[in-house]
Amino acid sequence: MKFTRSMVLVSNDPESMRRGAAEIYQSFHDELAAADLSEEVALSQIADSGRTDILPMVIIYPEASVYGPVKPEDVKRIVEEHLYKGRVVQDLLAPVRELTGRVSWLKARKGTQPMEKRIVLRRAGRIDPENIEEYITEDGYQALAKAIGQTRMEVIAELEKSGLQGRGGAGFPTGTKWRFVAGTKSAKKYVICNADESEPGTFKDRVILEGDPHSLLEAMTIAAYAVGADEGYFYVRGEYQLAQQRLKKAITQAREYGLLGKNILGSGFSFEVHVHSGAGAYVCGEETALLESIEGKRGEPRSRPPYPTTHGLWGKPTLINNVETLANVPAIIQNGAEWYRAIGTPSSPGTKVYTILGNVNFTGLIEVPMGITLREVIGIYGRGLKAGSNFKLAQTGGSSGSIIPPSLQDTPMDFESFKKAGVSLGSGALLICDERTCVVDLALTLMKFFRFESCGKCTPCRVGTERAVRILTSISEGQAQLSDLDTLLKLADEMELASNCGLGQTAAVPIRDTLKNFRAEVEAHIRLGVCPVGVCAMVPEAELELMVSSQ
Amino acid sequence: MIQLTINGKQIEAPEGATVLAAAKKAGINIPTLCAQKELTPFGGCRLCIVEVQGFRVPIAACTLPVSNGMVVNTETETLKKSRKFILSMLFSERNHFCPFCQVSGGDCDLQNAAYHEEMTYWPMQPGWNNYPVDSSHPYFILDNNRCILCRRCVRACGELVGNFTLAVAERGASSLIVADTNVPLGESTCIKCGTCVQSCPTGALIDRTSAYQGHEKAMTQVKTVCVGCSVGCGLNLIVHDNRIVRIEGDWDGVVNHGLLCELGRYTPMQNTRDRITTPLMRKNGKLEPVSWDEALGAVADKLKPLAGKEHAGLAAIASSRLPVEALAMFKELFADGFKSGMVTSTEDGMPTAVLNKVAEKHGAFEGKLDVLRNADTVLCIGANIAKTHMVAGFLVKRALPKGMHLIQVSPEAGPLDEFADVTLKNKPGSDLALINGLQAIIVKEGLGRTPLAIPDAEAVIVEALQATGLAAEALAQAARMLAHAVSPVILFGKGITAQRDVALVEALISLATLTGAVDSERVGLLSLKGEANSVAAALFGLDEPFALHGQAAIYVALGDDFASKRLLQNLEKAPYLVVQASYISALTEKADIVLPVAIWSEQAGHYISLDGRVQKAEQAIHAPEGVRANADVLAEVAMRMNMPVKQDWQAAVHARKSSVVLSTH
Repeated sequence: MKFTRSMVLVSNDPESMRRGAAEIYQSFHDELAAADLSEEVALSQIADSGRTDILPMVIIYPEASVYGPVKPEDVKRIVEEHLYKGRVVQDLLAPVRELTGRVSWLKARKGTQPMEKRIVLRRAGRIDPENIEEYITEDGYQALAKAIGQTRMEVIAELEKSGLQGRGGAGFPTGTKWRFVAGTKSAKKYVICNADESEPGTFKDRVILEGDPHSLLEAMTIAAYAVGADEGYFYVRGEYQLAQQRLKKAITQAREYGLLGKNILGSGFSFEVHVHSGAGAYVCGEETALLESIEGKRGEPRSRPPYPTTHGLWGKPTLINNVETLANVPAIIQNGAEWYRAIGTPSSPGTKVYTILGNVNFTGLIEVPMGITLREVIGIYGRGLKAGSNFKLAQTGGSSGSIIPPSLQDTPMDFESFKKAGVSLGSGALLICDERTCVVDLALTLMKFFRFESCGKCTPCRVGTERAVRILTSISEGQAQLSDLDTLLKLADEMELASNCGLGQTAAVPIRDTLKNFRAEVEAHIRLGVCPVGVCAMVPEAELELMVSSQ
Repeated sequence: MIQLTINGKQIEAPEGATVLAAAKKAGINIPTLCAQKELTPFGGCRLCIVEVQGFRVPIAACTLPVSNGMVVNTETETLKKSRKFILSMLFSERNHFCPFCQVSGGDCDLQNAAYHEEMTYWPMQPGWNNYPVDSSHPYFILDNNRCILCRRCVRACGELVGNFTLAVAERGASSLIVADTNVPLGESTCIKCGTCVQSCPTGALIDRTSAYQGHEKAMTQVKTVCVGCSVGCGLNLIVHDNRIVRIEGDWDGVVNHGLLCELGRYTPMQNTRDRITTPLMRKNGKLEPVSWDEALGAVADKLKPLAGKEHAGLAAIASSRLPVEALAMFKELFADGFKSGMVTSTEDGMPTAVLNKVAEKHGAFEGKLDVLRNADTVLCIGANIAKTHMVAGFLVKRALPKGMHLIQVSPEAGPLDEFADVTLKNKPGSDLALINGLQAIIVKEGLGRTPLAIPDAEAVIVEALQATGLAAEALAQAARMLAHAVSPVILFGKGITAQRDVALVEALISLATLTGAVDSERVGLLSLKGEANSVAAALFGLDEPFALHGQAAIYVALGDDFASKRLLQNLEKAPYLVVQASYISALTEKADIVLPVAIWSEQAGHYISLDGRVQKAEQAIHAPEGVRANADVLAEVAMRMNMPVKQDWQAAVHARKSSVVLSTH
């Protein structure tokens, strides 16, 4: 590794690239050469840090100064001032996000990084994801070395003790899942990283995949060692081309370093891993549909039981974990279960990554300890609702999440508390809606998504989503009757009861939540023929077209 | 065995069984639509959901494996309500206002399910899109409007036939059953076997000839055997008014388990040949109708003087599609009684003669077709299995996606070539060299299962490569694939047997032993034979090449078979020709006397399949007035010549050593 006095990192995630990051990288390259600094200053690329407001972003070490959004004409100044003269260009620094006391247990961090508790995102945006050496410098692959020094059961016991729960949405105890797979006798087993992140508004996994691919590779290798697998797959959403490239590069590098392949770290343990691209179906994020997809079949969920832990890929025992879940593993192995349990709440240890969207002042990615409340997220990280608006509801976890009414704003966001309140954390997206949002319109939008994404295998989901869309459409067009609401609830019941997979079972949630929390507003559409918020057209689509064309 | 409780009843089921199967065995009926016992469980329709203690939501019984101590309820109020609602969802999803169709009246699973749930209406308003009907196929119609998307057709096409023509396009409520990449069925890769139609629980796939022919429950069903080829598939004939309305594969058939091919299912329904319904006799150069008495009298008068004259007397040839009874009588009458020098069958013994010669030395050396079900590698030599013995071909084809290896050896191209792991196109006449070459490679590389001494293996290999014209690597790849197989099977066809070379078949036996295809546990060596009764014809010695040496008369027992060009050429200069046949053909036009006989479905009789299963075909319909069964006509001819036949075919089939073990199952 070459030593340099300074390091310039330019973000190159898709959003940065769209905003001209390639040009900025090239400018740095040229300006450094012009100033004869190429030998002293390293130039590298980093992924998104989760702050979309400051892209394209440039970080300069060792000062850890964050510039952003950087324009091409700023480059010359940064090189001359900061790198040549050693003076930080104050007016180009990214705005600082400060915490305002309510969550005092969060410690401020060096530089201008947002103040969060970062475990899975701790390297994203700070290291060059395409350079294994940078990862190793940041404690990379130490957890693997430690795990391989232990017995398989010791590794699993540590994970169980940590209390880590699946971050894909269901919150199943990860250690227990590992133990199931480890306990199934088979000459062949697989581990799979579910990186088919497709929930609307969710992009936490992408940031990990693009920003810290080696951490996932390390976690997969630890998992394979623990459960006795020798082959693995990253099933990556088709649109995540950069993530796929970076994973492939990470795999090549790890193999060169003896951290993957045959006889890893001289332990006799061997592991191979492949990157498999998804093809655009939301349902393939469901683990058994994902398996079908890897097997080259139509992506449709299987019926369970039997579960993948005993009958998975090609019928072999298979461990499937979500990206965020796996990203926690190396840190837990390295620092121990006790360390991990100290973060978050007793029943839900650790952190959670959220994507904040909607009518708030800041939208983006945060990683915070479990147990933070919705009010804190909106107030501190979202920097409040947009001027002049009031909180109406939040929707968690993309489409299969719950609708959180104002009454649950102060409920700690962890698996247990949310379950008690009858809502779910979902996949970690937080769509914050103010009172300009119509619940009928929201439910219809979500339902249309489910109808579009239903695979069509089972009757309740295939017919149920179609029927629910029709009824919700008629409500939004002012054509419904009150009895339609009973039919809607009946559809919800049957979909929840009889559907084959999670998609069908949770597709009913928006209907149920809407009618539970906002029934009066829905009934107003039917009884009074008006949309209280003024969003729904309240006339049939055909008539609306006539009205528009006659004007 | 696993112990579980269903509806309070203690029941026992084998490990791996589904709750649905276990319940059925215990007499508990759980309604289903997408489940079909021949197909892998799917869990799509959700009609079979049951409550299982410890589970949050109901589970589909068709996919749920039984486990010890499981407590299942199938008839709770919640479930009954759900089931009705799901049915009502299905009824409202597409156009199921079916006044009448092929399956209505007892055979429509959707309709039956509704009756079972005592539905008199469906609470959801219908609201369907109209889909175009695909009627491009010659034999059946695909109507997505009647489809409940249970995928039985898609699974049947892929899992049972291995053809993968049918698939689902789009997803969710827009899902449609399509052929290939949504091309009209008639222009698709469909091989017209009709298994999808037989699997369809509604009227989404209906048969052109049997649709709208009456309520199924008013019809009779006759289980019988297909006489299309030597595989011996079980048939279920749907009969109405002395007419076959539809041919279905018998799901309980021991050979085919419900499968049929175009030849078995549709070809007999497309018959356009003209039937002969009265005996005909040539008078003044023209064939004229006569009475049976006159015709048989004339035959007896003509043939009687020819008895015992060997080549100067009578030549007789029978179709190997005739029932065993008729063939036995034919042989007894003309070979034993008449002592004619030329008594044979229409196949000339091409698919069988050499097998019987080898059997005389080695005893029965061929196995059963079932061996294909567990095969992991198949060597198919001198046979075009996907074309000539299609149902056997399905067994190979459908195993390929599951990882079975196929080595195809034939100088000619065939439909399975593109699926084969190795395709060896050797020069004609080099089969023996090729087999020896395979053996030599296996021996040289020490991969043999049993000891075999080949003194100069290297020289044999060089010779094989020279004779076959194959690349050394290709031959070696085939040899290694075969040698590494756990349960290999060697199939051979007419390409091998027609050479009538005992050494060639013995080489195959040797290769089978060397590779473990044949060992003390299993017999993975099998020839495909030809027509429905190839094996029987061979057992009766009807396996000589047909040739005329100045015989004064020829007796042809053609039955409902076609007369081949070769046969017509051979009979060009026949001085006197007696033909017993069902249809008017170029052969009957030449005949001096024509005796009208029953077709396959009009007569009972036995058939011996390619792997030695002796199966009885039942009479399904009555022959037209004046038409007699093949065996009856032969018996009558025998009687009129004072050469009565014993009619003991069971004893007759054991007179000669067979290459297959005869069995009744």
